[in-house]
Amino acid sequence: MGETTRLDIAALWRRIKASAGAKAFPSQEKPGAASTGNPAGRHRPALLDADVRRNDLGTFLVRERFFADGRMNGDIAIAHLRAFQPSWLEGGSEARPPTRRPRRWAILDTETTGLAGGTGTCAFLVGVGAAEDDGFRVRQFFMRDFDEEAAMLRGLADHLRAFDGMVTYNGRTFDVPLLKTRYRLQRQPHPLDALAHEDLLFPARRIWSGRLPNCKLQTLESAVIGAERQGDVPGALIPRRYFDYLRTGKSEPLAPVFHHNVLDIVSLACLGCVLAEAYSAGDRAPLRHGEDLFGLARWLDKQGDSDQALKLYRRAVRAGLPPGTRFSSLWESARIERRNGNFEQQIQLLLDLTKVANMYRAAAFVELAKHYEHRVKDHGRALAMTHKAQRFTPSDELDHRERRLLRKIGRAQATMAAASAPATEAGGNRAAP
Amino acid sequence: MIPQVTDSQARAGKNAGIVQQLPSPLPATDSSIKGLVRQFEGLQKRPDSPVAAIRTRAAREARFADFPETIDARLREALAARGIERPYTHQALSWNGIASNENVVVVTPTASGKTLCYNLPVLNALAADPSSCALYLFPTKALSADQLEEFNGIGAALGKSVRAFTYDGDTPSSARRSIRRRANVVLSNPDMLHAGLLPHHTRWARFFEHLRFVVIDELHSYRGVFGSHLANILRRLKRIAAFYGSKPLFVCCSATIANPKELAEDLVEERFALVDDNGAPGGEKHFVFYNPPVVNEQLGIRRSYVNEARRMALAFLTRGRQTLVFANNRLATEVLTRYLKGAIGRPPGGRSPIRGYRGGYLPLERREIERQLREGEVRGVVATNALELGIDIGTLDAVVLAGYPGSIASTWQRAGRAGRRQEPSMCVLVASSAPLDQYVVQHPEYFFEGSPEQAHVNPDNLEILIGHIKCAVFELPLQDGESFGPHDTGELCRFLEEVGVVHHAGGAWHWTSESYPADAISLRNVTSDNFVVVDLSGDSQVIGEVSFPAALSELHEKAIYIHEGRLYHVERFQYDERKAYVKRVECGYYTDAIEHVQVETLEGFDDDRIGPAVANHGEVRITRRVVGFKKIRFHTNESVGDGKLSMPEQEMHTTAFWLHFPMEFLLSLPYSTAATRDGMIGLGNVLRTVGAVMLMCDVRDLGVSTLNAHDGPEALLDPELFLYDNFPGGIGQSEPLFRMRRQLGERVMKLLAACPCEAGCPSCVGAPGEVGEQAKEVALRLAESLIEEQAARHAA
Repeated sequence: MGETTRLDIAALWRRIKASAGAKAFPSQEKPGAASTGNPAGRHRPALLDADVRRNDLGTFLVRERFFADGRMNGDIAIAHLRAFQPSWLEGGSEARPPTRRPRRWAILDTETTGLAGGTGTCAFLVGVGAAEDDGFRVRQFFMRDFDEEAAMLRGLADHLRAFDGMVTYNGRTFDVPLLKTRYRLQRQPHPLDALAHEDLLFPARRIWSGRLPNCKLQTLESAVIGAERQGDVPGALIPRRYFDYLRTGKSEPLAPVFHHNVLDIVSLACLGCVLAEAYSAGDRAPLRHGEDLFGLARWLDKQGDSDQALKLYRRAVRAGLPPGTRFSSLWESARIERRNGNFEQQIQLLLDLTKVANMYRAAAFVELAKHYEHRVKDHGRALAMTHKAQRFTPSDELDHRERRLLRKIGRAQATMAAASAPATEAGGNRAAP
Repeated sequence: MIPQVTDSQARAGKNAGIVQQLPSPLPATDSSIKGLVRQFEGLQKRPDSPVAAIRTRAAREARFADFPETIDARLREALAARGIERPYTHQALSWNGIASNENVVVVTPTASGKTLCYNLPVLNALAADPSSCALYLFPTKALSADQLEEFNGIGAALGKSVRAFTYDGDTPSSARRSIRRRANVVLSNPDMLHAGLLPHHTRWARFFEHLRFVVIDELHSYRGVFGSHLANILRRLKRIAAFYGSKPLFVCCSATIANPKELAEDLVEERFALVDDNGAPGGEKHFVFYNPPVVNEQLGIRRSYVNEARRMALAFLTRGRQTLVFANNRLATEVLTRYLKGAIGRPPGGRSPIRGYRGGYLPLERREIERQLREGEVRGVVATNALELGIDIGTLDAVVLAGYPGSIASTWQRAGRAGRRQEPSMCVLVASSAPLDQYVVQHPEYFFEGSPEQAHVNPDNLEILIGHIKCAVFELPLQDGESFGPHDTGELCRFLEEVGVVHHAGGAWHWTSESYPADAISLRNVTSDNFVVVDLSGDSQVIGEVSFPAALSELHEKAIYIHEGRLYHVERFQYDERKAYVKRVECGYYTDAIEHVQVETLEGFDDDRIGPAVANHGEVRITRRVVGFKKIRFHTNESVGDGKLSMPEQEMHTTAFWLHFPMEFLLSLPYSTAATRDGMIGLGNVLRTVGAVMLMCDVRDLGVSTLNAHDGPEALLDPELFLYDNFPGGIGQSEPLFRMRRQLGERVMKLLAACPCEAGCPSCVGAPGEVGEQAKEVALRLAESLIEEQAARHAA
């Protein structure tokens, strides 16, 4: 119980006792009461140049914004958004039947009454952006009060039927479960499972989490897309704005919220373009920063495209990397070189890694030990590498390797000794009188 | 708070063990329970015997019924495989009740096969329709884990149609989604239902759609605030179930309390059928009341009950009897564990057969102790009420209660831990000098013939109710005219609208706050914060956890923290990090925190003159602070030093009953200021005992204080005496106290007049060393004043 309401409770007791006598709180006949201030509900004006829409579940608002081809958002031309094909982002891990490759993508973002999740959090504004023949259009669905939620959700579902794919930012954990909950509470079938879903948060993180302080959409917007926002409202204030509007009916403070939603969607579309380009171009990805290249390299590597990954690791090192990622790049490159059978390059990279202090040093010695033991069969050198590795991170495995090498060396010496011994003996015999 | 181990100055050396004391009529080789009982009987015949009462309950034959026709053949086989050919009568009765679609509450003693009362009908329903779901609620996570094993033991017979999981704070988040998708039986606790399931009910849609049973075990533990919360959570649960079109049946199990049916009906707000015909067999059982002898007549000092309990336990243990000792607080538990470990020793190279057991031990350690008890490897355990709940430890030969557990119900429950099905068993209550202990041991009929306490809840405690209305609105908009329990919600929602957290639209109230209201409610009236205890002696190992309020008095710097009888010195107490760093030590003392309690009145609800005083009840704020500690030597309980501490304050809002004595009246009495203050404190101690007896509540549920935070030094002459509800928000104990204010005065008077001590003793106003020489005299005078006027009025 919040401290703020603490003292009011005594007052409430008195009020309830006064109005209802000692026992319980009997029905006050007029349910809910139109008497309670409900300005938003009373006027229901069409606001913020939006249109009132109606379906069999009631009314709600729809507002549209159109960005013509000629415009730019930061460094990205709006016309460019048409080329956007997020299917390029698909990793091998997410199996989707190739027959269902989406063609019409909706860029979706919600504004909600909170971040707490659970059934008490509501999406009061849902924006859907999509590329059109001559530009990019954002359509926003808005409920003027809670009693418009059912109609708004139905309207949204009807609109989404025109699409077969959906792009979100953190939608997998936030927007989609939230919308599903809303549809469930309104006892309506939800349209979301019919759409392929690309959540750009994950591919964005892979590339930019190393370089940027965080991967919030707005951070990427200025760092990657080069767009600056004006007249925006901070996300944290949005629920408050909506609650105030519900209580007062004043819609002006909501204007920046609608604007915020539009900007998020346009930026999300632009970000999708940047990502799709980067992911589809592979080693020729138009990324400038070493860390971004490294992030993409590691992802492609994980997807099994080691050739492109190797090129990107190289590009990353050339572009300049902080020590941690630089050593990682060398290490991963060595691994790929070995798999490709380029042992010379592999050994060179490993030797580089053993020269300075870094987190791969011990492992590099181990790899070198393996190389000398199995490939070169130089057991003495393998043993030396093993000993060096033991200095950094002693382990049972290394001890085991050491024993095995000593055994092999011992055996070799024994064989050598055995090979020379009969000669000596024979010689001895010969020398014997 | 202040443990009762310090109540005697008796020297350990003077006390011979009970074994030697008893002029044994039997050869020492007779180590049977019967032999022990005979020795107690011999002792009872002596003049001034410490044995106050011996009662025997005859052995009970098992009574069986038949399995209903409808039972699934696979279940029947599984039961037969466990040696169960026929159900006990109570198991059959509960089956029949559930079969005829009745809510059922089962009340039978410990170890009577209670779990089958609910497991059988639930499993049978799953056998018939594997999509059916059941929700089991246990008060603790440990119990859920325990019961899952039990449930699956029989449930395995049904193969894939039983998919039971625990779902609580310990469930890894990686497993949660799969449990939500698959489970048809979920074992959880009220806290998880409150903050995890209900606010996310759409994720549990399938489960709620098919919810047929809600099982509430350990029903008796849901009294007071915890119960009041549960009642509201169940209102919310039923609302959500209704949203998904289901209406579950409720099956409750309770240990013996006076009003199980009423409690179930108050909690669930539906009709219940009561099943209390216990058909389980029981061996002969002996109950001994033992009052440690008086060693100082004038001071009313008895031998230390802790030392006497230790001797009692040793008498059983040395005769090879597996024994459970219950102490009433953590400190007494650890001190006894240490004493017994020392006395029993350990086998060469082996571990001590004695273990401690209390809430602060880590779960794994507790599971191990439970298992070793069941398997007989551990011979003696000293426990707090943590073992009172239905954790499966099998049954033992003997139980020693070190101090009266505070209520008839929990005394029976703890005593129930002794009692083999065939063999005789025994329970010894060793009374402390606390007033309630002395009252009980001197009036055995109060316990043996008296009804156990009633368990009450007050779901309409406004503070609790409002919190849950918020949660309810969060979960599902509240429709106009929709009721919540018996309430119309209109006025409450209009209030919440003013506060700004709900909004009315389209004939319903909606949640309009960014917060998650379940987070703001703690069901167990303490913060869920824990302190961990880190042992620095070796390689920094966490050895225990201590709840927030207890940590302040147990883990302050320089405290001796005792764990399994081992002593640790607290090196550092880090409040912000919720950590205490300790090191192993061997020292001859332990520490006991000194706590100050201040009360501030917020609002009076009603007042009335009583004698020269004014009786009130209303809302108060309690502020507690640990201000210092005493060092107390083991065995002799001498104080060997003390220290000052500055610890953070803890606040609580609650309701209180209080007496205000005007200054003019107190000045008119022929006592010094100091004596008057002592008298007030003494009167408070008696009031608390009498109040607890009259309310039939646990004495710990009432707090007492004479410090009013508003007052300066002059307040000593114009003091107030508070008896407060020891639960945040109050559970409605102060209003009945106010109503019974006149009887309260009379009974205080009676108790004081009847106490044979000269100038106060621990059994009435407190020991003279603690409350002052004149405390009893002044308290008596004050009590008289409360009823004088009444008497005068009667005369007139």
